Formats: sequence, C-alpha cells, structure tokens
Amino acid sequence: MSDILLEIENLHAGIEGREILRGVDLRIRRGEVHAIMGPNGAGKSTLSAVLAGRPDYRVSAGIVRYDGRDLLEMAPEERSWAGIFLSFQYPVEIPGVSITNFMKAALNARRKAAGLPELTPAEYLKLLKEKMAFVQMKGEFAKREVNVGFSGGEKKRNEIFQMAMIEPTLSILDETDSGLDVDALRIVADGVNRLRSPQTASIVITHYQRLLEYIVPDVVHVLKNGRIVATGGAELVQQIETQGYDSIDG
Amino acid sequence: MDSVYVIGRDAVPSYLRLDAGESLRMTLVVPEGESCRLALEVDLDGPGASLDLAGASMSTGTEQVDIRVTVRHNVPGCRSEQLFKSVAGGSAKVSFDGLVYVASGSVHTVAHQQNHSLLLSEGAVCESRPQLEIYADDVECSHGATTGYLNPEELFYMRSRGIPEEQARSMQVEAFLSPIYNRIDNDR
Repeated sequence: MSDILLEIENLHAGIEGREILRGVDLRIRRGEVHAIMGPNGAGKSTLSAVLAGRPDYRVSAGIVRYDGRDLLEMAPEERSWAGIFLSFQYPVEIPGVSITNFMKAALNARRKAAGLPELTPAEYLKLLKEKMAFVQMKGEFAKREVNVGFSGGEKKRNEIFQMAMIEPTLSILDETDSGLDVDALRIVADGVNRLRSPQTASIVITHYQRLLEYIVPDVVHVLKNGRIVATGGAELVQQIETQGYDSIDG
Repeated sequence: MDSVYVIGRDAVPSYLRLDAGESLRMTLVVPEGESCRLALEVDLDGPGASLDLAGASMSTGTEQVDIRVTVRHNVPGCRSEQLFKSVAGGSAKVSFDGLVYVASGSVHTVAHQQNHSLLLSEGAVCESRPQLEIYADDVECSHGATTGYLNPEELFYMRSRGIPEEQARSMQVEAFLSPIYNRIDNDR
C-alpha cells in the first residue's frame, strides 16, 4: 500500500466549454487532512466535482491517480467503491426514497463490488442506529425521504451520517460549513475528526477559516483562478483571515 | 375497500354509478408489456358519494396505453380524487384524458385530478389532457399535470454513494410510482 493516496498533476477542467481549473497540482498522503481555501469562483467546487466524477464536467488535460489507479477512467460509483466520498455543498433531495433504503442500497452495492455478501437486516439496523447516534440524529430520521424538507444543518449532518456509514478512504468535504450554526458545525466537525485515521485522508474545502478551528488541517492550500497558488500550514489560514485572499499572489 | 385492477388480468368496468353516501376506492395498474384502451365513466348520483381513483402505468417498449376517465358530479356534496402516474420508455405512447364534469347546482363539489408522467427515453411520448367542466358555484376543483425526465442531479448523488447507474434509475422510477404502490400495499 502506497503512502500517497491522491496525486493530481496539471489538471485542467471545466464545464460548458468554460475552463475553470487551469493546472492544479496536489499530492495527498494517507493520514493527512488537507484544507483547500479560496475565494468564490476559484474552482473549489469544480475540483470536488471532477474528483467525484460529475458527468457534466470535462477534463481537458492532466492526470489524477488515486490509490495507484487512473481516477478519471472510473465511473462515479466505481470511485465510491474505491473509497472516495464527496460531502455535497448542496445535498440533493430524493423524493420517494427513504434514508434507510438509500443507505441499504448504497452499502450493499459497495459490498457486492467488494465480493462480500449483503448485510443481514439485523446487521444493517445495528449499523444504522450506531451511525445515527454518531451525528446525533433521532429515530424518525431514517424513515424520512432523503433530504426532503431538511433544514440546511440537517442536510449537512445527513452527509456526515452517510460518510460514517460508508467509512471512506478519501473524504472530500465541499463547503460543509456553509449555512451551519455553531452547534451543527461542532457536530459535523466532531464526526469528521472521529473518522480520521492513519489509513484515510480528507480534503476540506472552505471559504472561511471557521471550520478549520474545529478540523485542524495538516496542509493548507490556496486555490485562486483555477490554480493552487500557495501551500503551507496554519499560518496561511491566519494570513487569509487578517489580510484576505488578495494578499496571496496568484 | 380497494378494488385493484391489473390490466391483462382483470376486466375493468366501463361504467360505475355511486349513490348517496357510497364510496369507492379503485386502483388501475397497467404493467409492462400491456397495451390497452381503457374508458371509464363514473356518475356520482347521490349526495356524499365519494370516488378515490388511482392508476399507474409502466411502459418501456412499444406499448400504446390510452386511458380516458370521465367523472360526473351530478348532485351537490360529492367528492372525487384522481391520481394517475405513468412511466414511459422505449417508444411507448401513453395518453391520459380526464374529464371532470360538475353539473349545474352541484355545489360543495370537491374534485381533484393529478396526472404525472416520467419519460425514460427520447422516443417515448406522454400526452395528458385534463379537463374541467364546471357549471356550479361554490366548488373546490383542481387539476395538475407534469411531464419530466429522471433527475440527473439525483442520479449523480446516488452513484456517488456507490449505487450503480441502472439501479439508481430503477430506484427513481420506483419512487415515482410509490404513491400508487403504497396504497395497494396498505390495502392488503
């Protein structure tokens, strides 16, 4: 097992003929948490969309290797099976599908891909209860339709709940802090921190430093105009906080 | 009590009449592979009569499904609820004609009619012609029709959790038809 989990070289990508990422380089090792900060329109969400395999985004150049595999060749579900998880900035509502059935389908599809038998109903129920407690969700939660009528905070907690159910190797949190009050932020950050391990890695995408007070990153990158223009440690977060993104050349 | 009619298995009545205080719950199911022409007329002839009619069709090949429903509110104080949901793929053609007629003097009528269609292919066609003919005052009547494709955002969200594309599609189709299936399950 290689130490390097994700390697991005000279990635160019965009949507609807518009190039948004213009040569991104990034290397993430197992056990690390990387923060990607940047102003609006820098390409943060494009990067997460490309890593998760959103069909409407086009990669025009570059290489992405994940765990030794060519990530860009893989379908979104194959990426999930390989351990990639995206916490959506705007989680999608799925009317008519309960959280219970959604997660059961997801977990069993993943187990099938790994050559494992389906979970028994008892095993599944136990896991469901355990992970709901993890994000402080109550009993009725699992019966609700996925994200339908959820508040902003509930949607984000549901993302972390799914992350806890799936136990990914590489988690990408796309602006998970946006629209959260302090209590919800703490629950979400707590969830992420408890899933940290020497085998896994996370990318925390955010506009503000607030989340990074709760999830302390090992490496901080600044994404501007589709490129990573600065890489450092906590001091970068401080610099952005006090002097803004304009203080970083790009 | 619900009467469930599966097209191709059961003969569907073409005419029904409800007297005062009578209520009828009826569900029509058009399974995959079945073409049909259904015409159903219902007279609500006594005060307090109540009709609850639902239907689902699933057509993914070359089926032709034609459903015509006429509900006549002939006296005051009757209720009719209609919900039809169609899924069409391949080169299937599904049409729904629904007429709700409210006779002069049939005050306090409540009539709702909904028709929703989900298209799975470019070659499939769904036509919806809901009609209201109202000759009375003080009634509560509405109709609505929608036609759409599977939501790509939902598909990507499901796939990003590891659900294969085909399975994600069928889960969405199932979810679309679930209001009809649930009422059948609840009655059994």
